Amino acid sequence: MGPLAVNEIISENTNLFLAFLIGIAFGFVLEQSGFSSSRKLAGIFYGYDGVVLKVFFTAAITAMLGLLFFSLFGWIDLDLVYVNPTYLTSAIIGGVIMGVGFIMGGYCPGTSFCGASIGKIDALVFIGGLFIGVMIFGLGYKLWEGVYMAAFKGFPKISESLGLSDGLFGLLLIIAALGMFWAAEWAEKRFPREEY
Amino acid sequence: MKPRVLLALFIIPLGLIIAAVPQNKTTPFKLSAGELLSEATSRSQFVTPETVAGMIVSKDPSLRLIDVRNPDEFEKYSLPEAINIPLSELLSEQYTDILNQDIKMNVFYSNGSLTANEAWMVTRQLGFQNNFVLEGGLNYWFETIMNPEKPASTSPDEEFAKYDFRRSAGMALGGGGAVQQQSSQPSLPVKPAITGVPKKKKAAGGC
Repeated sequence: MGPLAVNEIISENTNLFLAFLIGIAFGFVLEQSGFSSSRKLAGIFYGYDGVVLKVFFTAAITAMLGLLFFSLFGWIDLDLVYVNPTYLTSAIIGGVIMGVGFIMGGYCPGTSFCGASIGKIDALVFIGGLFIGVMIFGLGYKLWEGVYMAAFKGFPKISESLGLSDGLFGLLLIIAALGMFWAAEWAEKRFPREEY
Repeated sequence: MKPRVLLALFIIPLGLIIAAVPQNKTTPFKLSAGELLSEATSRSQFVTPETVAGMIVSKDPSLRLIDVRNPDEFEKYSLPEAINIPLSELLSEQYTDILNQDIKMNVFYSNGSLTANEAWMVTRQLGFQNNFVLEGGLNYWFETIMNPEKPASTSPDEEFAKYDFRRSAGMALGGGGAVQQQSSQPSLPVKPAITGVPKKKKAAGGC
């Protein structure tokens, strides 16, 4: 049956409309979970607040379990679900830039728009920086095209490279996530902050 | 109870279940029996010998003829550029790329059209597209292309145009039309369109 748009059960436009509704719901939940506060977000790097880790890993695990069970019931064909291509060099460099920007700015790209929507000035400044970065990347593309496209690894899945079934890898990821939640809550007690 | 413990109580059993069950490998692209029956009765899988002959003569690169008879029958006679995939070997993995693709138009043929149609049924049931059957098989091919029968003199002009086309195609393919006739070439029969396999679509991600 699924993916609905790929199997042409719903049109491309309906797909975009559904994405729009889901996007609004996603932004609303982000804001309600406190993701519009850069100090709360940056807390993960200093240990006093682990909400980023908890929310995103819970979301990832929920989506993962949902997809695996949908596939089990034959509701979705996982072979047709898009897997991001892996360019190892640019993934590492991009990860470092993103991480440094996250610590410095207190936002990741998605949450900066979340903060901007309720009028946070630091979020607006962050978005300005984001656009400057996009401009630099786009205008200087010829300079870093070689690095950007280097070490292409295809469309790998971790479960496949480890030789595990998707379900077993899912279980290991759930256990790892619960371990990290426990570590995050331990850190919250260890490095508490009164007000932020 | 802490939210973390509550979450753990909920998702660890789910994780255990998903780790224990075998992965679902069924593809929903398969046709149901009803869908297959309606396609088979619509006879849209058949291409006429004229279409195929026209494509062979014009060296159409999208045509791929697949002989589903035994290898020794294939050795004795085969259509130009045809490849041999005996019906019994049809599901062999080495042929999947040939049968499930969206670039070429595969035309199965056998002596009659029965074996070729069986091959088409099997591939169609798997959801493969762009596979067709040579109408009437090689027997009809010889009747129409290699040794066309001259229509009665009272036949309409279309019959003569068809006859001329068959004769000239047959001659180009080494058949037995003796005298070259000056005739206006009738327009080539329309060939079935090649339809694409649904492609994976891009999705943007990130937090």
